[in-house]
Amino acid sequence: MAIAQASTSSVVGKSVKRIDVQEKVTGAAQYTDDIAFGNALHHCRVKRSPHPHALIKKINYDKALLIPGVKLVVTGEDFPEYVGLYLQDRNIFARDRVRFVGEGVAAVVASTEEIAEKALDAIDVEYELLQPVLDPEFGASKEAPIIHPDLEKYEHPNFIFPVNGTNMANHFKIRKGDTEAAWPQCAAIVEHTFRIPQVQHVPIEPHVAIAKAEENGQVTLWASTQSPFAQRALLAKSLHIPESDFRVIAPLIGGGFGCKAGVTMEAIPVAAALKLKGVPIKLLLTREEEFYTNFVRQGLVIKLKVGCDKDGNLLAMENTMYWDGGAYTEYGVNVTRAGGYSSTGPYDIPNMRTDSICVYTNHPVGGAYRGFGMAELHTGVGQIMDMLADKIGMDRTEFHLRNCVRGGDVLATGMVIHEVGLPECIDKVARALKLGEKEAPSAPNKLRGKGIALAWKAPAMPPNAGSSALVKMNADGTVNVSVGGQELGQGTFTAMAQIAAESLGVPYEAVKVLGPIDTRYSPYEWQTVASRLTWSMGNAVRNAALDAKKKILDIVAEAWNEKPEDLDIKDGYVISYKTEESIEIKDFVVYGLPKADDQGWLGGPIVGAGSFMPTYVTGLDAETGQGERAVVHYTTGAQGLDIEIDKDTGRITVLYAASAFDVGKAINPDMVRQQMEGGFVQGLSSAMFEECQLVGGEMRNPSFVDYRIATAIDVPEKIDTFIVETAQDDGPFGARGIGEHPLVPVIAALANAIYDATGVRITNPPFSAEKIYMALLEAGVVN
Amino acid sequence: MHNPHPGLPELDYVKPASLEEASRFLVEHAGEARPFLGGTDCIVRIRDGAWTAKYMVDVKGLEGMKDLSFDPQKGLTIGAAVPMNKVAADPAVQQHYPGLVEACHWVASYQLRSRATIVGNICNASPAGDTIGASILYGGVLRVFGPQGFREVPLDGFFKGPGKTTLQPGDIAASISFPLSHPQHACRYLKLGRNKLGDLAIVGVTVMAVPARTPSGYHFGIVLASVAPVPLRAAAAEAILESKEIDEAVIAEAAQAAMDGCKPINDTRGGAAYRKQMVRNLTRNGLMDVWTKVRK
Amino acid sequence: MSYHRITLKVNGSLEVVDISGNMTLLQMLREKLALTGTKNGCASGECGACTVLMNGDAVNSCMVLAAECDGAEIITVEGLAKNGEMDVVQKTLVDLGAVQCGFCTPGVLISARALLNRNPHPTEFEIRDALSGNLCRCTGYNRIVEAVKVAAEIEGQEGA
Ligand SMILES: Cc1cc2nc3c(=O)[nH]c(=O)nc-3n(C[C@H](O)[C@H](O)[C@H](O)COP(=O)(O)OP(=O)(O)OC[C@H]3O[C@@H](n4cnc5c(N)ncnc54)[C@H](O)[C@@H]3O)c2cc1C
Ligand code: FES
Ligand code: FES
Repeated sequence: MAIAQASTSSVVGKSVKRIDVQEKVTGAAQYTDDIAFGNALHHCRVKRSPHPHALIKKINYDKALLIPGVKLVVTGEDFPEYVGLYLQDRNIFARDRVRFVGEGVAAVVASTEEIAEKALDAIDVEYELLQPVLDPEFGASKEAPIIHPDLEKYEHPNFIFPVNGTNMANHFKIRKGDTEAAWPQCAAIVEHTFRIPQVQHVPIEPHVAIAKAEENGQVTLWASTQSPFAQRALLAKSLHIPESDFRVIAPLIGGGFGCKAGVTMEAIPVAAALKLKGVPIKLLLTREEEFYTNFVRQGLVIKLKVGCDKDGNLLAMENTMYWDGGAYTEYGVNVTRAGGYSSTGPYDIPNMRTDSICVYTNHPVGGAYRGFGMAELHTGVGQIMDMLADKIGMDRTEFHLRNCVRGGDVLATGMVIHEVGLPECIDKVARALKLGEKEAPSAPNKLRGKGIALAWKAPAMPPNAGSSALVKMNADGTVNVSVGGQELGQGTFTAMAQIAAESLGVPYEAVKVLGPIDTRYSPYEWQTVASRLTWSMGNAVRNAALDAKKKILDIVAEAWNEKPEDLDIKDGYVISYKTEESIEIKDFVVYGLPKADDQGWLGGPIVGAGSFMPTYVTGLDAETGQGERAVVHYTTGAQGLDIEIDKDTGRITVLYAASAFDVGKAINPDMVRQQMEGGFVQGLSSAMFEECQLVGGEMRNPSFVDYRIATAIDVPEKIDTFIVETAQDDGPFGARGIGEHPLVPVIAALANAIYDATGVRITNPPFSAEKIYMALLEAGVVN
Repeated sequence: MHNPHPGLPELDYVKPASLEEASRFLVEHAGEARPFLGGTDCIVRIRDGAWTAKYMVDVKGLEGMKDLSFDPQKGLTIGAAVPMNKVAADPAVQQHYPGLVEACHWVASYQLRSRATIVGNICNASPAGDTIGASILYGGVLRVFGPQGFREVPLDGFFKGPGKTTLQPGDIAASISFPLSHPQHACRYLKLGRNKLGDLAIVGVTVMAVPARTPSGYHFGIVLASVAPVPLRAAAAEAILESKEIDEAVIAEAAQAAMDGCKPINDTRGGAAYRKQMVRNLTRNGLMDVWTKVRK
Repeated sequence: MSYHRITLKVNGSLEVVDISGNMTLLQMLREKLALTGTKNGCASGECGACTVLMNGDAVNSCMVLAAECDGAEIITVEGLAKNGEMDVVQKTLVDLGAVQCGFCTPGVLISARALLNRNPHPTEFEIRDALSGNLCRCTGYNRIVEAVKVAAEIEGQEGA
């Protein structure tokens, strides 16, 4: 037998093409709304509250039931149970009261969507209006009406700290060092309050879910979801169904960005299906319902005070954050916690006092949004650091470099941080932007400026969020890898195939990782959030591949009478370093190897199993926020923009942008860059255009007509990205996540660029042309 | 809460064979039938419940509706059903009515303009209608078929309020005609939206300059979008520009007059104070531009 | 409600379809013809996910009544490839990494195809302009723009 050509090139670190791209450009890719259910399909529409805060006195749906084609009406009466990821404060339908405009009070199931829609008008709901809470600071005060009188009864894990009898659903604190003692030692102090509005995720695919319950107790949910396993767990628990009987099927999804994590609208068709068995029931949200009822990125009021000594060394920070959690904070409480433990931003600050408070309001429900609190936090921190640098009279880049976190620093929580390449990221961005060089605007009525901001983010999740994977060998030498993490467009299936191929020793082309995720057959994954998959699921896949490899090598070792340590798999061949013998794995990974002289067989079908769960994250003290290890790791980076502002209109044109992030190891560099570009543009869009215009609790711009997002014409023609690689000790091949981070610093970087261009500090996004123009007018820059 | 239907509610699609039949149908079903061309306003408004229509009456196929013709003596006639992209791509329109081309280009997106029409834009009578200003300044006259037959309807006085015109049930605009434009004219449409393209106007300013026997040597036209319940003619500014010799200061004065002459409102797209400022700045920039061009 | 039987050509094949008066072209493609490549992102003409070619030009299929399509010729994303060979814009979107979640992709491809049909040598501005009615939340657009640019170059060479 000839020795197989051992592959010298490794597929990890290579920019292979996306594994699912062919079907996506031909229209063959199947998303949830594309699945055909035939004539049995029934449709669901939801009766929604027009009020931000009211008691439900009566719901009368008798007339609705008389409409031909209407099969069922369900209300909160039918489902008293709570659902919720971190704080179980939410029912499937509002029960005794409604808490935000758009909240579901009843659902109609009918044979067509039109009939269901018509039936909504035949449902009468009688309300008694209550005073709404429309501001988080007010909501946290004693004067505010209580939105959740039952707060003390809600279940929650031990790292969430609700304040009973108030609207504060979580109060996270850090007390490190002594800020009071530090202030007198500061040579410069800056204080400022920043306000960041709610924004929407705007995946181009709206939420859709189809549920079917069988008489035998089986329940199936098809959903556009980032979290099939979390949905199974939460809904199964709430509706008293064994997880083994609850099947969630999750096809490809058309963008999630956090709003398809946890459980939201999916609960409605499931609830309906339990009352109308045997038929699939579909709920597809309209774009307008997306805007009203999706998780929003929480609004934030952040009050910062920060000081440094005469050399520009940061000495202290006080950070008080009032998060506008909205009507339910089941997911949002953990955004508050993440904002809390990362509240310094990526800076080394010896004395820290943080109060991160999640407040119930009668606004749309806050939840996970790409960045998970970090974009909001950094909007404040990223600006105030520039303000402080200016005040102490130091070059801004030098100030960031002097104070940014470095490996070995003791963070505000007491955790010692691993090596990070943040200084290198700052350096790369500063060079690319030619920071410090003032450049001429393109016309006399333009102002030009540059800005930079840093970012950090840790995966925000329970300490023990886990992943698992299966590597299944086929008789032709190909490999199917099953995972439970979802392909959102971030390219995780591709990265997993690369990790599996590399770990197993087979060609990349031999490995397939494909959806749909199906909780009945796919291995467990907590959720596809937190930029955790490359790292966590990547570890599980690597472990599964190594398990398969071990099983393969054990068989061959026995057959060849060699030690497994002397064998390896290269390019799909088992080779012996000792004897130089080789065998193609496809010859035996399913059917085994015959023993010599026809004396029976060795081996059998090879399935590698692997899992991963971080075991080292510790709790933090409720009063001081101190603990050994708050999080698994941080991804850090920097970003900068070169912009021009039109003095006649206030409109910004971004001429150029650069981002650099330390991803540990880029499994697929081109896809890392795609995340950096796309994340930057989503951040830029939120910085320039986006805001849920909430008036009296109601969103005034619930459609694309008035909720504008960036288009191809609004983005800079040139965006550079730089990959920095400081290996993560427990990451697969050293990798850590990058999905969310590029969005984190954008608002602050843009605000800093606006200041650089105009000399006017405009702190609160979105930086619409109007806001900029009116500020320039007031400052006398234009007249 | 603005909560549109997932799709269009139940309705009849009606395709009359003649203008007479269409008009009769619309009269008989006044209040519940809507004529439509591109349907880009109708479908949106019916879906979101703002309009109820039992009948959508497709008038695109009727006589002459899809024709676009240019006569070097008489001018331009655009059939009501000619989509904006067709208008904007027509060489005669490009040469003689560049302001119309520019205005079309500012509407929504390319794919929407494959359907959207200028006549629909006019009949929809939104204060933000992008092609209305140019249509007014080029002297557009609608040819309307009604229960009494054809009549000519100039755009002066046509707009009565947001979504309101002088058209009555049974009236069908069949085409819009423009007299020959002055060979030395210049026309611009400056639109400010939140995005660089594709948004509805926060403010839109159409300006035109035509050589004329006035003290200034020019006749100027200015129409403002999105600052009043109807497309607003900046008459005071126009008067200033005709009465004095033009220079930058006079243009600034006229721009100021345009600003002072409008009372915009606050809405989701922009505040009144900003809108007024933008009327001034865009009018100034637009005037500078057309003046520079006609002066050559 | 009115019901209609219409005849039209979709991706080259003749179809006879029974539809109701309120049905849009988008709904007909997805629900009656199982052509689910064309996506519904807003049903109001804003997002471009539903873009198809109608009689050769790009339209928002959510803004067209199915009843209007009697006699029309429609091309959807499923009809872009010819004889199993992908269209140049499909290839360049793949090659340049301009696809992430893929939900905007069918509409983007149609808009790009329509642009190159009417303007084989578009400038960067013309490309961005032509794509401005196609919202994409994932890619940040620049790779899509680049892919269209490269597609134009390739077609220019092939044509030459
Ligand atoms: C996503 C989107 C973006 C848009 N962006 C813009 C924009 O940027 N700028 C802008 O100006 N507009 C915009 N619009 C609005 C719309 O596209 C324009 O007003 C368009 O010109 C309407 O033309 P249409 O042929 O589609 O009109 P239709 O919808 O067919 O009709 C419009 C109105 O005219 C009436 N009507 C139609 N035909 C006749 C007739 N023959 N006689 C009498 N009345 C008739 C209809 O009943 C209706 O009231 C946008 C619309 C959408 C959906
Ligand atoms: S679905 Fe047609 S434009 Fe959004
Ligand atoms: S790739 Fe996801 S919306 Fe464009």
